[in-house]
Amino acid sequence: MADQGSYLHLARPLPTVPVPHQHATTAPLNVTIHTQALFSILDHSLRRNMDQDRVIGTLLGVRSDDGTEVEIRNCFGVGHNESQEQVEVDMEYHKTMLGLHLKANPREVLVGWYATSPELNTFSALIQNFYASNGEGTFPHPAVHLTISTNPGEDIQIKTYISSAVGVNPDRIADSCLFVPVPHEIRYAESEKSGLELIAGAKNNEDRSTPVMTDIGALEKAVEDVLGMLERVSNYVSNVIKGDAPASTAIGKFLMNTLSLAPKVNAADVERMFNSHIQDVLMVSYLANTIRTQIDLSGRLATYNFSPKDPLAVAPTVASK
Amino acid sequence: MADKLNLGPLKSVRVDALVVLKICKHASSSHPQIVTGQLLGMDVEGELQITNSFPFPSTEAPVSDEKDAASGAAAAPRAKANTYYQTEMVRCLREMNVDANSVGWYQSASLGNFLNTNFVENQFFYQSSLNERTVALVHDTARSTTGALSLRAFRLTPQFMAAHKEGKFTVESLQKHNLTYRDILTELPLTIHNSHLLTNLLHQLDNPAPAPLTSLSFSTPMPLAPNFDALDLSIDPFLEKNCDLLLEAIETHYSEVNNQQYYNRQLAREQAKITAWQAKRKSENQLRASAKQPLLPEDEWQRLFKLPQEPSRLETLLNSKQIEQYSKQIDAFTASVSAKMFAVNQGLPRTEE
Repeated sequence: MADQGSYLHLARPLPTVPVPHQHATTAPLNVTIHTQALFSILDHSLRRNMDQDRVIGTLLGVRSDDGTEVEIRNCFGVGHNESQEQVEVDMEYHKTMLGLHLKANPREVLVGWYATSPELNTFSALIQNFYASNGEGTFPHPAVHLTISTNPGEDIQIKTYISSAVGVNPDRIADSCLFVPVPHEIRYAESEKSGLELIAGAKNNEDRSTPVMTDIGALEKAVEDVLGMLERVSNYVSNVIKGDAPASTAIGKFLMNTLSLAPKVNAADVERMFNSHIQDVLMVSYLANTIRTQIDLSGRLATYNFSPKDPLAVAPTVASK
Repeated sequence: MADKLNLGPLKSVRVDALVVLKICKHASSSHPQIVTGQLLGMDVEGELQITNSFPFPSTEAPVSDEKDAASGAAAAPRAKANTYYQTEMVRCLREMNVDANSVGWYQSASLGNFLNTNFVENQFFYQSSLNERTVALVHDTARSTTGALSLRAFRLTPQFMAAHKEGKFTVESLQKHNLTYRDILTELPLTIHNSHLLTNLLHQLDNPAPAPLTSLSFSTPMPLAPNFDALDLSIDPFLEKNCDLLLEAIETHYSEVNNQQYYNRQLAREQAKITAWQAKRKSENQLRASAKQPLLPEDEWQRLFKLPQEPSRLETLLNSKQIEQYSKQIDAFTASVSAKMFAVNQGLPRTEE
């Protein structure tokens, strides 16, 4: 990875005197990216203007107390213009949007910014220094810079950096910094699991869309998944036994652990538990349906027109339920 | 706007993956409190494409009114205080080339308990004033964590809109509009849509570089690990919760029915009084007529007696719909859980005594 771009952007000449510039800590940190932020960035990248190569935006999230863990939870795009010699970022827009976001999500704070190209250049350094600055930026914590490559037909590369100051001459301090790559991982919240599963289910469809599943449908899918996995494992095991595949101690241990989890239960106990539970379930379901019928009946009786014009025309059809 | 009306009714709703996740996140971040937000997108030949969304901040309700505080977020879509936030947000998003048309709003719910006056009022507000072609998305947080994602799109029916415009839900108006609790909402089919880039990302997340086997561990699930929540066999909490909700709804129903009966009794009593008065006046007039005195007016009862106000049936309607919803939910649950239980019962290895 490291050979694809250079992380260091220096403005010559290198000075000999240390620059008295206060800079954020550059302690290593772990970055966690929530899928929602990633999706949002990709959406923004799709909606960029025709003449733009990349778009940038602000990352929001939470930071642990000691500042070593950063979770990127949310983001929004910020307009910017780039030309050969200068870059303009719509700061007014950034401020307004930040204010609006903080209103709805008071717990999230500014953590950094993203760009949708893997390239790091002088402008990156300039913007990075703005986001890391004292006052409006993330100071004293480092600002996280996330790059994501969105070239069609290529893999999506996600990288995260923090920056540290490098000693260059004072006039160029604003557009120089050293980007330090930091590790990141992609994570999703427990509550997003079912949504994400459904979204992932559409990835092999031609039209890239999928209907919402019912509970029974989800159950069916889960059972099929498990069957597929069992199949895969048993294939692997039989291959190992035949000597076609290399054996692995780690997998063996996992299988042992998993198999030992199967409970041994007393037949009578199971039968008793099963019966009592199934009775509960069916009883509740029966009662619920009875209630539904009653309510239906009550609703119809309340609004039924008792004038003797045509009693059969609107006769309640509750019995068919 | 006029040409839009000729397009016929909305047939389906397409939600972008981004919106699904945004709603999930917003809803779970303040669960079990209800949250609401704005949906943005556009209407393409009867299919409503929802491509972005943003949450509404929960408005700070006046401290004096406790009931208001609870419904602060629920009423947010209509709140005056939010107008500035909404327009500002839409303006900002438009600059980022987002489809900045309001196409509806979303709300979170827990076990389907979203049918209340607030919900109807909100959707009425959207459907009547802003843009007729809007939907309400309901994300059920509690159900989504125990199985399949529950995200549904609703619209108010034209009958209900007509009845609501008149502003009263008396027995008479229900009969006139032929409105029962089944005709309050229509559900639209909903699909989830991914962009090309997203499909790319998903494929990549699904095929990560193989980790060295020695560092395998159960504790760190990979992104997009298969989700087996649907196989979970916890029955009692769900049933218990549902029964509670059902009982609560029945209680509401009961009190509404009592109100109605009280009204009917009151009405009958007043009417009896009026007939008695009319009979008295009539006989008095007959006496006066025979005594050649001027007659007393016979329609004075309208001033003397006041008929009681008929209670609104809206609450009953919504409550009935809510009960139906709970029952259907229980039905669906029974179907899947009994299948699971039989499977487990067969599959467990047993020891003989």
